Amino acid sequence: MKSRFHTVFVLSLLLTCSAFGAAEPGGNGDSIQDMQCGGACHGDASINETSSAILSLSSPETIYVGIPTTLTLTATNLETSSTRLIGLFLLTDTTGHSDTPQDAGWEVLSDANGGAVNYLEQTLTPGQNETSISWVIRASTLGSTTFYAAIHHGGGDSSPFFGTTATGFEVSVEPVPENLPRLAADFTPPTLRTLDSPTELNIQTQFTDSIQFEWKSEDGLISNALVNSTGDNSWITTIPAALQPTTVQWRVILEGEGPEQTTPWFTLAAEESSWEVSENAVYLQAFALLFMIAGIVITLQIRFTSTSTPSKYDETPLILEELALTDAQPPSQELAPPPLPATGLPTDWTKAQWDAYGHDYLAGKYGGGQV
Amino acid sequence: MISSETLHVVTTELVVGAFSVAGLSFTLCLLLHLGILKQPSWTSVFDHVAHFTLAFGLVATPFAILSGLSSAPGEGLNSPILVNKMFLSMTGFGFALGCLISRWRLGGKVWSTTKSVVLHSSSGLAAVGSMLLTASAGGTFTRGESLLDIFHLPYEQVLLFPVLVSVIGLLLGATMLVLSWKRMNSSSTVH
Repeated sequence: MKSRFHTVFVLSLLLTCSAFGAAEPGGNGDSIQDMQCGGACHGDASINETSSAILSLSSPETIYVGIPTTLTLTATNLETSSTRLIGLFLLTDTTGHSDTPQDAGWEVLSDANGGAVNYLEQTLTPGQNETSISWVIRASTLGSTTFYAAIHHGGGDSSPFFGTTATGFEVSVEPVPENLPRLAADFTPPTLRTLDSPTELNIQTQFTDSIQFEWKSEDGLISNALVNSTGDNSWITTIPAALQPTTVQWRVILEGEGPEQTTPWFTLAAEESSWEVSENAVYLQAFALLFMIAGIVITLQIRFTSTSTPSKYDETPLILEELALTDAQPPSQELAPPPLPATGLPTDWTKAQWDAYGHDYLAGKYGGGQV
Repeated sequence: MISSETLHVVTTELVVGAFSVAGLSFTLCLLLHLGILKQPSWTSVFDHVAHFTLAFGLVATPFAILSGLSSAPGEGLNSPILVNKMFLSMTGFGFALGCLISRWRLGGKVWSTTKSVVLHSSSGLAAVGSMLLTASAGGTFTRGESLLDIFHLPYEQVLLFPVLVSVIGLLLGATMLVLSWKRMNSSSTVH
């Protein structure tokens, strides 16, 4: 009874601990995520408490199909855990399933952290209780779409918190006016570059006669860069090398027959050059490890295991069996009883004892030697 | 359509869960056979649980490796952590394979001597340890933190052999497997 009580107590304790450990205080990394990360960020939605954060979305008044636009999320009244980490979602519904902008036909071209995903994590500075981040997105179809924002963060008592925008933010996508200078529909801005080398940008446009290129570093200082034409609606420019893993933002001002257009700020993150290795060598070594270790384990196991089954040429067990039978036979069955000594039986001996051990007596093993 | 990221989460949870139970069972088997834990009736139970869960984890491991490769950001093995994950998971695969083949072909004889008991339990526990290290490396790769960070494991360092050494190791390992297999067959009860 006592052991059962202990078992129930331990199981209950483990189940309780699972709720405390459901959140990921270190974050889940920027990625494409449905609302609640499909349960991967804060575990089951039922364990979340409601966030006090106030979220609001904003965008330019006019959005054209196929032309990048900026969607900005402002979060205020933020209360976080000691890690000050928050996760922000851009969504197109709040069902928790197939609710990313990509699911609704939108393309995320750039995000505030230098990627192109709808879920971003940000670490607030001490005392900071509001923030604002932007996504550059592009619609592929006409019509209206309702966007939502959501937030994940921790709290003082280790509880996970979740919140969404109170209402959806509806945007309407309009057809592109004739001859509007714009980026080419298939142009995808880069989001990453390597450290210590200048970045050459090739920009493709449509209905554009000239462009101006602007970029700004994290301190907000805006600079211009020289742009050269490399053909019809094709341009090339260079951004100076980054010496540290920081981000820069860039945009172009497009001029042509139609009204002048300014693109959103695209974010470009600098990172160390990618790590390279010969994949064939890795796979070869991995399989070598597999076979070597399995082979060594089995070989040693055979060596250490008592496998006494003999081969068909090994007659050792038969010989041992015969020897055992030989040893088991009492000597009295092989040898006849010795003749009685002239003085008769030794003192206190019986006739049966003489028959069995008389030879030993005569050999001097009993009572001081032969009579 | 299930994304490779989701499939990787599912398969790794299967692998880690199964291997964790196997690790616990192998530990108990070791204690039981060494006489430290005196519950003879548990011997058979944990022997079966250990090997069944190890086999289950082993079946799920290739799916975890393949889904992990396809869900990793970027092209191919572009991080030392991914390479170490590959080495650790294949090492664990080797330990588990050797342990299971031994138990299958040698039967209960693997528990017959103290050396054999220690070796068999150790190989099972080494498989579990390798898989848990792989999972820890995965946590470090995706979230930048892991429960095993307290040990400051060098996930960023890769020990890559020259190709010739790997080829020799591969041939040597395959030869050992073949010879061991023949030896186990020659001493089987069928013979």
